[in-house]
Amino acid sequence: MNETIATELYSNPKALAIELKRYGLSLTPQEAIQIKERLGRAPSLAELFIFDIEWSEHCSYKSSKHLLKKYLPVSGRNVIQGPEEDAGILFFTTIDDHRYGIVIAHESHNHPSQVLPFEGAATGIGGIVRDVDCMGASVIGVADPLRFGNPNGNHAERTKSIVEGVVEGIWHYGNALGVPNLGGDVVFHDGFDDNCLVNVVAIGLLREDEIIHSRVPEEGDGYDLILIGKPTDRSGFGGASFASGTLNSENEEENKGAVQIPDPFLKNILLHYKATHEVRRRARELGIKIGMKDLGAGGIACCSSEIGESGGFGVELNLDWVHVSEENLPPEVILCAETQERYLLAVPPSFTPEVLKIYNDDWELPSICSGAGAHVIGKAIQKPVMRVFHHGQLVTELPIDFVVEGIRYQRESEPGVGTFIEPVFAMPDNLNQLFLQMLAQPNIASKEWIFRHYDTEVQGHAVIRPGEADASLIVPIEGCPAGIALSVDGNPFYGEISPFWGGATAVAEAMRNIAAIGATPRAMTDCLNFGNPEAPRDFWALEEGIKGIAEAARKLGPVADREAIPFVSGNVSLYNQSATGRSIPPSPIIACVGVIEDASKAITMEIKASGHLLLLIGERFNELGGSEYYRVLGKGPGANAPIVRYAIEQGIIYGTIQAIDKGLVLSAHDISNGGLLTSAAEMLLATHPRSDLGLKIHPIPPDSALREDITLFSESSGMLLEASPDHADELIELYKTYALDARVLGITTTEGRLLVYDKNDESLIDLSVEEMRQQWRGAFGLTLAT
Amino acid sequence: MSSTQPPKVAVLQFPGSNCESETVQALTIVGLQAEIFRWNRPALLLESYDAYIVPGGFAYEDRVRAGVIAAKEPLLDVLSQEAEKGKPVLGICNGAQILLETGLLPGLKPGNIEMALAHNYITFRKHVVRRGHHCGWVNLRSEVHENRTPFTRTLRKGDIVPITVSHGEGRFTSNDEDVLHSLEEQQLILWRYCNDEGEIEEGLPTNPNGSFSNIAGICNPKGNVAALMPHPERAFFLRQVPTTWYGPWGERRRKEIGNSDAWSVPGPGYAIFESLANYLTSE
Repeated sequence: MNETIATELYSNPKALAIELKRYGLSLTPQEAIQIKERLGRAPSLAELFIFDIEWSEHCSYKSSKHLLKKYLPVSGRNVIQGPEEDAGILFFTTIDDHRYGIVIAHESHNHPSQVLPFEGAATGIGGIVRDVDCMGASVIGVADPLRFGNPNGNHAERTKSIVEGVVEGIWHYGNALGVPNLGGDVVFHDGFDDNCLVNVVAIGLLREDEIIHSRVPEEGDGYDLILIGKPTDRSGFGGASFASGTLNSENEEENKGAVQIPDPFLKNILLHYKATHEVRRRARELGIKIGMKDLGAGGIACCSSEIGESGGFGVELNLDWVHVSEENLPPEVILCAETQERYLLAVPPSFTPEVLKIYNDDWELPSICSGAGAHVIGKAIQKPVMRVFHHGQLVTELPIDFVVEGIRYQRESEPGVGTFIEPVFAMPDNLNQLFLQMLAQPNIASKEWIFRHYDTEVQGHAVIRPGEADASLIVPIEGCPAGIALSVDGNPFYGEISPFWGGATAVAEAMRNIAAIGATPRAMTDCLNFGNPEAPRDFWALEEGIKGIAEAARKLGPVADREAIPFVSGNVSLYNQSATGRSIPPSPIIACVGVIEDASKAITMEIKASGHLLLLIGERFNELGGSEYYRVLGKGPGANAPIVRYAIEQGIIYGTIQAIDKGLVLSAHDISNGGLLTSAAEMLLATHPRSDLGLKIHPIPPDSALREDITLFSESSGMLLEASPDHADELIELYKTYALDARVLGITTTEGRLLVYDKNDESLIDLSVEEMRQQWRGAFGLTLAT
Repeated sequence: MSSTQPPKVAVLQFPGSNCESETVQALTIVGLQAEIFRWNRPALLLESYDAYIVPGGFAYEDRVRAGVIAAKEPLLDVLSQEAEKGKPVLGICNGAQILLETGLLPGLKPGNIEMALAHNYITFRKHVVRRGHHCGWVNLRSEVHENRTPFTRTLRKGDIVPITVSHGEGRFTSNDEDVLHSLEEQQLILWRYCNDEGEIEEGLPTNPNGSFSNIAGICNPKGNVAALMPHPERAFFLRQVPTTWYGPWGERRRKEIGNSDAWSVPGPGYAIFESLANYLTSE
């Protein structure tokens, strides 16, 4: 095998560093030396590229893996498969003795989206959908948690064009695919000016006995490896390393080359209910076990080594058999490019002709996308090596466990988040004006401008959609009323003040959102978006964030400390920082999946009728740190970011689920960003524009020691409920069993106004729903359109 | 037709179609036998079906413009021939775009492309607020006597039908004044976007795409071929109607919260499939 970097250079780290850089490799000289020592020879160029990817942060989780392992709960009675393959699986429901599972995966596409927003966001959806699909599932929903820079800040123009590009990318790809968008969330913060976050979540449905694993099956000796989809090109070559580095604007053109090109049209044919569906159906019919895995980071190299190794096999590939888009691609490009819309199938040779016919003839892949198709590119072998030929030459022969085991780094950690102090100021005298202004803030205003682009209705499963409640709800099996709820959360303003509570509150809010429609949280995924792990403070923030998430997941299960809500999959995205070294605010983002056995009981957040009561669950604390209130007043972030009081939070979550199940609640909305007043207003803003419903409330407790504005705007956890007066006593009793006071704040009216009074019955807020709606609805579109 | 077998409906599938499953499900529930018909099967096999639906999606990636490539498929030649015989043909969303591009609709001079479904032109209070894809619920007003087409049998003229739209190119338009005039004169307008009171009103929230005269669906002069931009298969169950919806459908939806017996109660879009079933079984 030809070495490209001469053996002698390995004894000269400085010269080696220059040489590695010349080839565009991100490996450090120490890492390259480590590879040489393990192999007992200098690696070939193709081999160096394989390790460049396998040892990148993106693929190996080299800085974070030990933390995730140490802290996160990943098992439980509802876990069918934890975070070990392309996606996790949790138990959904049983129909006719068949157990059904929900598949979920969560990824980030942050760096690509900053550089090429449209393609970056689109391929983000593409990748996550493949992760879920390849488990044997029907993909039934996607969601996008998005974090952008300040649309009114120093980089307003760039931020707006990134927002537009990302939204376009999501709808162009997702809508064409035929997978409904179940929402997501959007937060704007200066800290994302140079590094936006585009996370993507996808969920799928399958029968437990039809799971297809991402590995060559036990009987797989001699199985063919079939590459399906787009012809391999140069796109995304070095993508995983790119995603694991710092964005540097000098390398803009180079960076763009690392972003892949999406093709939702081809993907549509590959997806479950078309060609691949047929392959799986036939395999089941014939009683054949198959393996399937999507090609993502690291392309053919990563995918083939992982599908082989996890099945206990080696793999032998011939790159001349790979369908490519241009002649003379070097072997390392064919091996490592991240061309989109590709899968690898492991099937017995006897089944191969039929598989090829299904893709190439029945579904005409080659005529649908130029150069696309399904081709055998190698096979599973007994010997545990990854062996690759190109033009008759051996270009790679590596112990397969060495390829996939990755590398670990123990990073240095140093506590510290900067100094935060609580502002001191007099109570503002005109809350009406201030509140109208608040409703128009980008982080409060209606996000309808965004989600109206997304197809929320395709597949026909939607019951609760984005904008209608705190979580979305779909009912994916006709004739069965069991529903799947999904929510995503994460507040970077809290994470900035306390990475720990930023993590814990994200878990609490994601779960609370599921509870607010009446579903029960069943599992979570996390995407840990942080800065540079080589910077000790950033690494500390990552550690704290994981600890916070883990603690909340363990303490907010139905029985604290005994039954955690498990994480069935997740992702870590590090090096989110600008070229100047400014890291993003610590931004763990949590997705929570809930289940409701009888989805007809699920409720939305808009006030339903007049003459009902509005109740508050959850005491207000002095927690305005990172609040919308401080921001609108220009008072800085403050210091008292909300924390999670586990006993209270458990009561809010499980009390609300029980109350909705008993039919005692007509609408519910959680308290988070913007506080109690904003949540109450949102319950009116979500009503039909022609409705005349209003609220008349006295939210200040008679014995309250807090100033009125703190009660109204504190972002302490809580829940607002609309209930008929006939059910008030029963509700209050129910929450008492959780040691919580359900406090009646006031009544729903037909006056079309939000009326808020203090202890002495003096007016604090008197606004028409119409004028609030104008601010809330108009502002966001205008911010972006002008 | 054999008396024991239910009538057979073909749901055409092109590369990029994405509403086949829910369309088949809707047809099956109203008692029809529905089959997905893949684009590269022998086109003549289409002759054995009693009715046809061209479903939503992005056939051929909307290359050139929505519907135009699928319209040139051999499948569409056979479909045109069967339509000529009077069999019912319904295009939904992308299917509507395909039928317009074949010249089957409005079909004043069959085979000629007389109208287009152009890019959305979304207005609010007379200002263009944006272009591009729009997804959401709207109201349709039924504009014809129930016997006008096989798809309107159980709808009364003036009925309000809440329904979902999801498209980027849904604006019915034509540069031929005579064509626009004939639509009205020959009763080719089946459905219009209307407000909660059933009035025709420009712009959002009533008209989601800037369609001429608020047109959401049309038929050919004979009435057997129809195109509808909104998706009746996604408004098929009452549970799919948003709880916020104004008017009787919204009230019914709110009333049934918590009532699991009402889980599979028909929604507003059911009538269109039910109409087809009634027509085919009474034929």
